[in-house]
Amino acid sequence: METLGIFRDIESAATTVEALVKTGFTEAQITSLTSVPYPDGVLVRSGHSFRFRWLAAAGGLAGAIAGFGLAAGTAWLYPVQTGDKPIISLYPTAIICFEVAMLFAIVATMAGMFLEMGLPALSQRPYDPAIADGCIGICLTIHAGGEAVLCEPGVKPEECIGGIATLSATEQKVLAEEIMWASGALRVIGEEAP
Amino acid sequence: MSEKQFHESNELKVSGEFNETHRTQRTLQTPKTLQTNKINDDLLSSLRPPTLRWYLLALLLGAVVAWGLAAFTWQLTHGMYVTGKNRPVMWGFYITGFVFWVGLSHSGTMVSSILRLSMANWRRPILRAAEAMTVFCITVAGMFPLIHLGRNWTFFYMIPYPNQRGLWPNFRSALLWDMTAITVYIIGSSLFLYLGLLPDLAVARERSSGWRRKMYAFLAMGWRGTAHEWSVYHRASTLMAALIIPVAVSVHSIVAWDFAVTVVPGWHSTIFPPYFVIGAILSGVAAVITLMIVIRKAFHLEEYLTPLHFDNMGKLLLVISLLWTYAYFVEVQTTWYAHEPIEWEVFSFMSGTYTTQLLIMLLSNSLLPIVCLCFRRLRRSIGVMLVLSLLVNVGMFIERFLIIVPSLSHKNMPFVWGSYSPSWVEISVNLAALAGFVLLFTLFAKFFPIVAVSDVRELEARRGRVTMGRAGVPSIAEED
Repeated sequence: METLGIFRDIESAATTVEALVKTGFTEAQITSLTSVPYPDGVLVRSGHSFRFRWLAAAGGLAGAIAGFGLAAGTAWLYPVQTGDKPIISLYPTAIICFEVAMLFAIVATMAGMFLEMGLPALSQRPYDPAIADGCIGICLTIHAGGEAVLCEPGVKPEECIGGIATLSATEQKVLAEEIMWASGALRVIGEEAP
Repeated sequence: MSEKQFHESNELKVSGEFNETHRTQRTLQTPKTLQTNKINDDLLSSLRPPTLRWYLLALLLGAVVAWGLAAFTWQLTHGMYVTGKNRPVMWGFYITGFVFWVGLSHSGTMVSSILRLSMANWRRPILRAAEAMTVFCITVAGMFPLIHLGRNWTFFYMIPYPNQRGLWPNFRSALLWDMTAITVYIIGSSLFLYLGLLPDLAVARERSSGWRRKMYAFLAMGWRGTAHEWSVYHRASTLMAALIIPVAVSVHSIVAWDFAVTVVPGWHSTIFPPYFVIGAILSGVAAVITLMIVIRKAFHLEEYLTPLHFDNMGKLLLVISLLWTYAYFVEVQTTWYAHEPIEWEVFSFMSGTYTTQLLIMLLSNSLLPIVCLCFRRLRRSIGVMLVLSLLVNVGMFIERFLIIVPSLSHKNMPFVWGSYSPSWVEISVNLAALAGFVLLFTLFAKFFPIVAVSDVRELEARRGRVTMGRAGVPSIAEED
């Protein structure tokens, strides 16, 4: 369940994030929705590692193998005798390997990027067209039933994200909306609790 | 989307038509959002409904393309003899066009990638046009080998798949390397263009209605611009930029190998791949400048494509022009110094028979750009830059022609020396290719933001002013 607050400037959006964190929500629950990128930490901190680079590398490797199969493998399967030339020639094989490796790496980069972003989004998520016009959205993910999913194993929810974990989802939502309004939100869009 | 709908969609945003609880109704018209709105309006102005002039232009371009198709059909039904090709000149205007368009395609993505990787802030308004240019140029270029084939209906023999003919494409042929490289470049450049478009599609989605909104929503895939999306997007853009540069270099190197791996005098040279790559960048940079000028005028983007952009692109063109001159000098000097009879014969034939073309080429690609672009005032003059950029591409087309035709005309066997002049069919197809490119670009500009909105706005968002000593100086916030 997500609650989205719309702010007219970056300062009030940043104030909201700080207030939400102080109240007990975690950084991982909060994200910003903007039409231009801001440096990490200006609004929220996203300490993610990027796995799609490994997918790109794997794609490149798979492409190199596929290119080798295409140039050398098929030359071997369908030999074309040309004078004294070798059936499998190193130079053309290397060129085809390179090209196909790059193709696979590029496609894998795109595919990995979308996978990591979670796009295409199949369900409707809170959004406000004002964001496209320069407003800032602060989006809070509230876990159903006050479940503190971000706690380390063996750590009590209260120790992990404070009193918030003990509140129900609806109570968390109401609290978050109060904070957003207090920080100067233009409007707040909230998903209903399931 | 009509202009009325455009404004209505803005009003909707102000009044708010969502399922939110309105506790306070405040206006969104702050200086910041007003500025953002203006940038959005300006940069998305190309998406407004077409005017009569646009339709007339599209009609004219469509007519030229139709004429080219008719000429090609004539060639299909009558055979290759309707072209000017003959023995020994088997490659003519079609391959000239192919090399020229591959060259043009070279620079768009490459310039965009290099500027992206070097984080040059002035790149932002240029990126989209350059990337789109690459996609359309390489598409046009890819048509030429198919047109040149003869018995064009058998083009699928080049596609590797098990078939009853028992034939398999021979990957030892440089032409197959070409086909592979061009396919990779078309796919790579298209994905690179789409990647850059992604955040702008989300902006366009929110500012449109009807079928356009559906199209943008589909292509934007639910992009919201979360911090995580932006973070992944930036890293993916950088990786894509790094991946696409070697592909671009390889494509034109492979086109050069089409020539260099043969033993034809004038072609069999180790300088060909770098020389081709430099020539490609020269023509590509010039084409980007031409497009920038056209877009600036057509969509009234004087505020975004400023003299500074032309100044910087002019410096780039100057450097590439100097490099091209150096490469050309090295090639000619080696031939002249060695004075190998057949090599010298080709050069003498070329400089004797095509003197005018040779002089135009040297003037357009070397002398004029080097002299004019040394001066800041000329680099910042839109008129001068337009003339120079057009001349460079005229010069580059001639250069491609002078590489191909003289070498084939006077090959190793004097008893089959000949000459070549293009037929009306070849000229028509080449003109249609040019019209087709302009048409594709015009259509693209009508359906997609032709300037990278998010990139331009990112710069605006990061722009500020800091006080240093007694003065306030402009600053741009950068990440470590």
